Amino acid sequence: MTQAHAQPLAAEYFDGSSARAHPVQLQFDGDELMIAGAGLARRVALRDVRWPERTRHGARVAHLRGGASLHCDDGAAWDAWLRAHGQRDSALVHAQQSWRWAGLAVLLLALLLAALYGWGLPWAARAAVAVLPASVDAAVGETALRTLDEELMRPSRLPPAQQQGLRDAFERAVAALPAETVPAHQIVFRHSRIGPNAFALPGGTMVMTDQLVELVDGDAAVLTGVLAHELGHLRQRHGLRLLVQVGALGAVSGVVLGDFSTLLAGVPVWLAQASYTRDAEREADAEAVRVLRAAGLSPLAMVKFFEAVAQRHGAAKEAERSWLGFAIASHPADAERIRFFRDAAASR
Amino acid sequence: MGGGPGRLMNDIHDAGRVEPAFQGGPAAAPTEHQLGVRFTGSGSEYFRIWIVNLLLTLLTLTLYYPWAKVRRLRYFHTNTLVGGKPLDFHGDPKTMLRGYLLVGLMVVLYSVAGHFSPVAGLVAFLIVAAIWPALLKASMQFRLANTSWRGLRFRFKGSIAGAYRAMLPLFVPGLMFVAALLAVPDQDKPPQWYGGFAIGVTFLSLLVLPWLWWNLKKYQHDHYALGPLQTELRASRGSFYGVFLKTFGVSLAAMIVVVIVGVVIGVAGFAGLASYADEDRGRIVAAVMAILLGAIIGLLVVQLIPRPYFTSRMQNLLWSRTGNRAMRFRSELRFMPLLGLTLKNWLLMLLTLGLYWPFAAVATARMRCEAVTVRTRVDPESLLDQVRAGDNDAAGDAAGDLFGLDIGL
Repeated sequence: MTQAHAQPLAAEYFDGSSARAHPVQLQFDGDELMIAGAGLARRVALRDVRWPERTRHGARVAHLRGGASLHCDDGAAWDAWLRAHGQRDSALVHAQQSWRWAGLAVLLLALLLAALYGWGLPWAARAAVAVLPASVDAAVGETALRTLDEELMRPSRLPPAQQQGLRDAFERAVAALPAETVPAHQIVFRHSRIGPNAFALPGGTMVMTDQLVELVDGDAAVLTGVLAHELGHLRQRHGLRLLVQVGALGAVSGVVLGDFSTLLAGVPVWLAQASYTRDAEREADAEAVRVLRAAGLSPLAMVKFFEAVAQRHGAAKEAERSWLGFAIASHPADAERIRFFRDAAASR
Repeated sequence: MGGGPGRLMNDIHDAGRVEPAFQGGPAAAPTEHQLGVRFTGSGSEYFRIWIVNLLLTLLTLTLYYPWAKVRRLRYFHTNTLVGGKPLDFHGDPKTMLRGYLLVGLMVVLYSVAGHFSPVAGLVAFLIVAAIWPALLKASMQFRLANTSWRGLRFRFKGSIAGAYRAMLPLFVPGLMFVAALLAVPDQDKPPQWYGGFAIGVTFLSLLVLPWLWWNLKKYQHDHYALGPLQTELRASRGSFYGVFLKTFGVSLAAMIVVVIVGVVIGVAGFAGLASYADEDRGRIVAAVMAILLGAIIGLLVVQLIPRPYFTSRMQNLLWSRTGNRAMRFRSELRFMPLLGLTLKNWLLMLLTLGLYWPFAAVATARMRCEAVTVRTRVDPESLLDQVRAGDNDAAGDAAGDLFGLDIGL
């Protein structure tokens, strides 16, 4: 027998087939662990021992190959004994036990989450959507339109001639653009149950509501601007992108907060979704300016649109929106957008 | 077999004869032994473990999750001392990664399918519903087989068929719904009976919820085993309906109180506001903010109160009714302390943007674990001498290990 190193450690041995605890002394001997107690003498190769990670609290339990285990309630004695034998903590255990590393982890986590929110998720969503075929957009858009038609929309009451007139006006404006920058699209009219609105569905369907047409007295230039904005959503494939982006964000939020409360995990998703949509609206506004300019129309048409909307909502509500809406509104404040189109008109 | 299990059966048999004394009351004291449960984890230590592992999980696009989970389970298990001896968790992260990826894929497909077409959504739902009980069984088996106490692995003895039977109350209204969906040819013009039918089935699902819960818990608590000791749940369906009904009552009471408080504050606020001039916009905005904040707090309170009530009542019912002839559990988790802890956790979670979570988890685990005691009529030492693993349950169940499923239901 070779010479045993260091002091023995008192522990309990469980053989894995009975619940009885055997008091034992543990000692290292070369690359073996000696376990000795009353009527018990075992030698276990060190590679057959799965050591527990060091923690400040809690018992130490080491697993031996074959199902037996070693327990030690005195964590400090166990750690000192292992250290005396030259066993080192892994880098991870070291990090887990150090406030400095934990602090650094908080900082890195904050940076990582900010980077994911600001660049990572938008980039990943763009990349993911780029590899998805257009048929995916079409399928998603079709399902969405069916749901809308069931829940919120009724067939349009506008005369077909007026519908066609608005379509023609828009197509004339778009014809001035380079063909490869115009995504496939079709304009449909609906009578809305939720007031004036227009939106683009993935796959190319742009829905214009009767109420919006009435709101601007059928002004073709204004409606061309609104549709150009929706065309921007289509060109950027915002519908699918936001779907992927918000879904991924929900997954991240679930990993961080989901263990505590799914309700709480929904809050950052809700806030970030609003912010992502605002970014999408800005991109679409830029696209609207591009279309209007190419067609020789003034971006002031969009200013007219916002003024009509503001008139409908009333000024008091506007004040409230600008105060409360900064975090949760799905669109940028109207004032900001009006300024954008004014500047675009001026810089021509 | 040896003398082990046979002698245990005798002990159990002997103990069975003093059953009336064991049922409670001071007379039971001399023959009853207690094993307390202690939780020794620390919030600040778990914070460091959590944050480091969370960072790694996010950096690896969540592939590190099984390793983080094993670390968490081992920390909580080895800090849970039953009769002075810790529990332990043996799961292998590499195996659990397979299960994690499988379940992850299912969740993604399930959540995406509905966006493509209602039919795809329905098919995904049916597939998930059809395999869910099997997943539940595999997951229970994996978790139990990888949990040990005093060197012995637990076992889950429930069968797959049992899992499907347990879920039956959910399948019946579900299938009725699907059948109705298929029977209606044109979703845009549903027939007259459709609306009433949908409401009826929804109501039925709500009505069978406590029954489903009882089924699931019965399935789980009837099949925990350590060596020859297997547990049984001796709670009635009626007692589950009682807990659900009382929880509903507590929610209702909380809602009424919040509404009354809200109305009183609102009226007082408007009275105060009326004295200011109309053009004072800042004050109007402040008032609107206050109303919004009040509404959010009110909603939160309505959300927060019933949960700890249900948790405490259900834990007490479940564990105080779980056991066998040799041993019983007893749980005395009180509602008010748990409510206080829940409110404190939420407040600090919001104030720290979620960084308080590990402290909350440790504090909750401590309160819930330490409310439980194990009571035996047999001297624990002699009982434990008899507890031996069967021939088959040495290294855990291979079937449960295949995918390392651990869904945590």
